[in-house]
Amino acid sequence: MTRNTDTGDDSGDAVTDGGVAEEGQRSGFSPVAALNERFGSDFVESSQFWLPPFLLVGLFVYGAIIWNLLISLTDFTGFGTPDYSDLDFQMYSRALADSGFVDAAINTFILLVGFTLVTLALGLGLAILIDRNIRFENTFRTIYLLPMSLSFVVTAQFWAWMFNFNNGVINIVITSLGLGRVDWIGNPDIVLWAVMFALMWQFAGYAMVVFLAGLRAIPNEHYEAAKVDGASTVRMYWRVIIPQLKGSTISASVVLMVFALKAFDFLYSLVGGYRPPNGADILATKMVREAYANLNWAYASAVAITLFVMTLGIVGPYLYYQYNRGNL
Amino acid sequence: MTDQDKRLSRRHFVGATGAATLAGLAGCSGGGDGGDGSDGGGNTLEVLHAWTGGDGARAAEALVTAFDEEYPDVDHEFNPIGGGGNQNLDAVVANRLQNGDPPSSFANWPGPNLQRYDGVLGEAGSVWESEGFEDVMVQEAVDLHQYDGAYRGVPLGSHRLNCLFYNTSVVEDAGVDPDSLTSVSALIDALETVQSETDAIPMTHGASGTWTTTQLFSSTMLGQEGYDAYMSFLDGSPDEAAVRATFESLAEILGNYINEDASSIGLTESNQNIIEGNAAFIHQGNWAAGAYRNAEDFAYDEDWGFKTYPGSEGMYMLHFDSFLYPSDNPSPEATETFLSFVGSKKAQVAFNQYKGSIPTRTDVDMSEFGPYLQETQQDFADADQRPPNLQHGLGVPSETMTALNDVISSEFSGPYNVDAATEGFVDAVSN
Repeated sequence: MTRNTDTGDDSGDAVTDGGVAEEGQRSGFSPVAALNERFGSDFVESSQFWLPPFLLVGLFVYGAIIWNLLISLTDFTGFGTPDYSDLDFQMYSRALADSGFVDAAINTFILLVGFTLVTLALGLGLAILIDRNIRFENTFRTIYLLPMSLSFVVTAQFWAWMFNFNNGVINIVITSLGLGRVDWIGNPDIVLWAVMFALMWQFAGYAMVVFLAGLRAIPNEHYEAAKVDGASTVRMYWRVIIPQLKGSTISASVVLMVFALKAFDFLYSLVGGYRPPNGADILATKMVREAYANLNWAYASAVAITLFVMTLGIVGPYLYYQYNRGNL
Repeated sequence: MTDQDKRLSRRHFVGATGAATLAGLAGCSGGGDGGDGSDGGGNTLEVLHAWTGGDGARAAEALVTAFDEEYPDVDHEFNPIGGGGNQNLDAVVANRLQNGDPPSSFANWPGPNLQRYDGVLGEAGSVWESEGFEDVMVQEAVDLHQYDGAYRGVPLGSHRLNCLFYNTSVVEDAGVDPDSLTSVSALIDALETVQSETDAIPMTHGASGTWTTTQLFSSTMLGQEGYDAYMSFLDGSPDEAAVRATFESLAEILGNYINEDASSIGLTESNQNIIEGNAAFIHQGNWAAGAYRNAEDFAYDEDWGFKTYPGSEGMYMLHFDSFLYPSDNPSPEATETFLSFVGSKKAQVAFNQYKGSIPTRTDVDMSEFGPYLQETQQDFADADQRPPNLQHGLGVPSETMTALNDVISSEFSGPYNVDAATEGFVDAVSN
């Protein structure tokens, strides 16, 4: 069997998969040929590979999202079946009028932006330090990455103890410095930052690894050239090295943002329930509370769609960027 | 193999894949409404509950053992789903009821809490009739287990909510006589005395969840404003002045006399303060006493004591642990057998003596229970009124309860905003 790899030719005599398909199709109109003509020379022949997963993913992922959107347009609560005959945006206007929802949306946004930026900065700093040819490089890398491998359940309990008012490590350190104790979890103005700090601790190691890979990909000549030209270390990193880490920054920030949106696990484990401490409610916890504590399925779906749109707002530009670079 | 053969086999493959996909989808859509219970294994009794730790697990185990002794022929599967109080259990139950795959029975609260299961609960009236439960259960149990004109479940035990527990040596050090505290203002004076006379926390509070504060509100309202004001609050016609006065007392207690780490600890750690002698008083349901019984060298009347929440003497704020009967039941016969068992003397003694609650029947011999529960049972039998609780399903529907807890979370978890909390509570319960 010969394999013809000549693609991009619509004339029909070049089929990538082994090529005798045109034999039976020349005699008249054929839907197979028409589809192949429209979508590419081996559209139909290759469908056995992509069609089943395409249908399954389409149904269970995108179908489910659309179904969720439909439910959010109904007034579905309690048990039974939703009534799809009367669709409106009532749940969304209810959300805008609900101060709990607005607070949760703002908190989600603060967490998203604050956590991502600080974690990126911290990860970059760690990566640069590790990249300075220090001793025990692998040991440090492992130590920094370790928190990321822990489950949210573990880290949340760990930080609940760290933040404890009376005997938490943080307050013990603060009081030994002569400052007053801080109510990290109970003060609604502080708790979100405390949660952000804990998440940052957990994910800085991940950002470090991504940046480290980026740094390693930069040729040594760039460092040497900068040094020969008399740049200081700070200037070298700022003007020469960091601008080359754009790709690493973008991929790390997308992953971090998605983790920020998924902070539900952390908050749930922190208090052992669906209601985070006052001041730390996010859309994910609000959604679960509405769905399972109140059985407000339609309202919870509306919250879910809002969260979905926020996620899409983050991932969409990233996908577009990758598409433009030819990576998709 | 020629190319022609290859194409044919590929076509077959495509066909087979397509057929398999369709079959798979058909299987999925068929599964959704397939739970009519008549198919294979339908007679296994499946019971969901949330008693996974400590006293609860031991009590559940005793219940299962007793059930096996009484009905050795019934196949059963008891599935504990713990975590977050009852939250995880509720979520699992909600999902399964929504998907038409109900368990045989599940643990939950009766009363207005039943509203959230509107349309998915069956009738357990035949069990009540054949076992004569109406004659032996306390009247409140008879009333609260009916919804929409039918019995929906059977009670297993009852906890008491208007309880104040104390560490005997701490209150003695402070020179406070707990039995003399018969009003909320007397309680506040006593807390002040503990504060000035000892190093102990006057009243320990675990507020990492909001439910402890909502629960404290209900007992304080009952003790300070009386039975009628409390009942009209539950009935949806709250007296704003009474709600405000309650919040003012609460703000005084929570603002001055509780542990500083209240917001970062839960009930377990808070209760530990009593056991270790770091705190004088705690308000809780009497499940808190389970921890005292399990603690070393911590005996009732010697090391810890009980006082009805000040002002609510002669009242027993009710709580029920019950098993409900879902409609579309996968094992109707076995479920009825189980519910008959739940209401029996044997089950109520087996379960409650370990759980730290009391039987809901009035004809149970209490000799197997400890002295504290015997007294509780006496109070229960003698109570002038048995008002339903606010936080555990008997007083208000679950949606109202969530709204009340939202108010506590945003307005009354420090700083304590009496005006906003009053307005929020009045709005939440008003019809």
